[in-house]
Amino acid sequence: MRILVVEDEPELRELLQKAFAEAGFTVDAVGEWASADADLCTTAFDAVLLDLGLPDGDGLTLLRALRRRGTATPVLVLTARDALEDRVSGLDAGADDYVVKPFYTAEVVARIRALLRRPGQALGLSMVEGNVTFDTAARSVEVDGAPLVLTRRELALLELLMRQAGRVISKAAIEDGLYGFDDEVSANAIEVLVHRLRRRLAGAGASIAIHTLRGIGYMLTEASG
Amino acid sequence: MSAQRSLQVRLVARLVAIFAVGAVAATGGAVIHAVLTLDSLADRSLVAQARDVERAVVVGGDGAIAVRLPKDLVAAYAIGGSMFAVFDAAGRAVAAAPAGAGGRFAQAVGAPPALGFFTLSDKGEARPVLAYVADAGHILPGLRIAVAQSALHDDSFYDSVVEEFLEGVAWWIVPVVLAVIAVAVLTIRATVRSLDEVSRAAAAIGPEQPRRRLPTATVPREIAPLVSAVNSALDRLAEAFERQRCFTADAAHGLRTPLAVLAARVESLADHPEGAALAADVARMTRLVDQLLHVARLEAAPLDRHATVDLHAVAVKAASAVAPLAVKKGCALALEEAGGRWTVHGNEAAIGLALLNLLENAIEHSPPGGRVVVRLEGTGVVSVADHGPGIPAAAREAVFQRFWRGGNAGGRGAGLGLAIVAEVMNAHGGRATVAEAEGGGAVFSLVFPEPEPLAEAPAGGATPSLGRRAAAGA
Repeated sequence: MRILVVEDEPELRELLQKAFAEAGFTVDAVGEWASADADLCTTAFDAVLLDLGLPDGDGLTLLRALRRRGTATPVLVLTARDALEDRVSGLDAGADDYVVKPFYTAEVVARIRALLRRPGQALGLSMVEGNVTFDTAARSVEVDGAPLVLTRRELALLELLMRQAGRVISKAAIEDGLYGFDDEVSANAIEVLVHRLRRRLAGAGASIAIHTLRGIGYMLTEASG
Repeated sequence: MSAQRSLQVRLVARLVAIFAVGAVAATGGAVIHAVLTLDSLADRSLVAQARDVERAVVVGGDGAIAVRLPKDLVAAYAIGGSMFAVFDAAGRAVAAAPAGAGGRFAQAVGAPPALGFFTLSDKGEARPVLAYVADAGHILPGLRIAVAQSALHDDSFYDSVVEEFLEGVAWWIVPVVLAVIAVAVLTIRATVRSLDEVSRAAAAIGPEQPRRRLPTATVPREIAPLVSAVNSALDRLAEAFERQRCFTADAAHGLRTPLAVLAARVESLADHPEGAALAADVARMTRLVDQLLHVARLEAAPLDRHATVDLHAVAVKAASAVAPLAVKKGCALALEEAGGRWTVHGNEAAIGLALLNLLENAIEHSPPGGRVVVRLEGTGVVSVADHGPGIPAAAREAVFQRFWRGGNAGGRGAGLGLAIVAEVMNAHGGRATVAEAEGGGAVFSLVFPEPEPLAEAPAGGATPSLGRRAAAGA
């Protein structure tokens, strides 16, 4: 996996470069709009980490130019701007996700990983949370290296939750992902399914937890403590 | 628009005044002219009469004076209405017709009579008798000829002249005046209509469209300078807004980038005994910078509040954003709905920010394992309840002021979060309130004005025959 880090602050660039290198990525790092543009024209990256505030140009124009060329490379925008400003315009310009500064590099690495395991990006990818490994190609789950047998629906639910680990998925989104339009879903089908999956994971000694946020959705995290 | 300020009313009033003055002047002038003309006609007639008499004067060899009038004139004098008398230098009436005319002249203007035009006053006669005394000294020294005739008309004639003038001439003044007023009114209306577009454009200009300007193409040339001046005033305002916006954006970048470096360095100290404390410090600093930037941003420019905001969607988004925080602390975070889904007019990002602040506060003040509930009360009220220590009744006003920290000086907050909430709600014409939650703790409410029920029926209820959609709604 080769990623491009575009960040004008040298120390931050260095820290990000280090973090991604440690996470097993090949990292190219540049600090200027012009060199970023040149690199993006000549090299195919698997993902781009883009700071919006560059000394010689706006990161958003770089992003728009990239999308105009038809490049679908996932782009994670690093921004100091927030919701009350132009977070939205960044996404409109073709960003796949954004992280508001300051951030933990671990979170940035996790977000890039999440972007890379989006459907259609990299096939046959393994997702790891805690001691649980999900092989998206083989559609198999291992807990601490031991296979865990799950039903088709349980697998689909776990996959959805692991793709968005650490983030809330609404119940409606889970229903959309798990059931066809014509399927009849009883009001508590998701609750029942989540309950079953929780029991299976607990039974296998998994170190991940599925949290229910009533009225909001579900979230998978590494179990605390 | 008061009558005083209305262009239309002012113009009509002035036009009417001008026409009234003009009409009076024209009518008066015409009447006076007519009367003068008649008078001069009468005078000329008298002069001619005097000449006739003069030509008829015959001076005999003995100096005796006789008047030999042609037959027709004799007849005329016989009818009456006219008279003449010839006075000699001594003032004796040497000839007169009808007889006794000399006496009348002498009575009126003396003997010999004074020269010139005069009126023989005689109350008994219907018409005034006009008289003229001419000097005939070239015939005999001191000879004077006095003539008189009844006026062709009496005073009522003048009235009929005026009346005729009004009937024959003045009637068109009224339609002309009306036509002029109508044209003036229509012109003004058309001009004002061209300004309607400008008014509409002006009404549409707001913080959300700072680059829109008033159209100058359609307005009358006289008004274009005003429109241009307004436009350039808008330019200056937009520039000021833009500068403010740039400043907050630059400040955000300038503050958050070094914080990011700091956070990354602290992160690498994870195994260090001070690592966790440093990370907490960084988090606190980050929150303070965020809130200062939000305050600056809210003050820099008025919010664009023209979007229709689905309160449920905003609440879900905000709750999702703080969910990791709640889970980390072991809080049960839930969203409850009571009374359907509502939308309000406003700024989604700002409302989301207000809610986020309330949620962060609630989670922070909750005991581990406590419950934090976002409740959509319906009718445009969103509340966030926690089971923390709550806010003492005495402090419930002060809590929304900046840098209020409730004696919790050691806490993580800088005391800006609730001030931001209050500011956002003020900007929406609503308010933020705090009360005691059921079973202890604080419940903060965002109360929006003029909420509207969400057009689309909320997903919910169970009608399985409609497929899985019927059962949606977590």
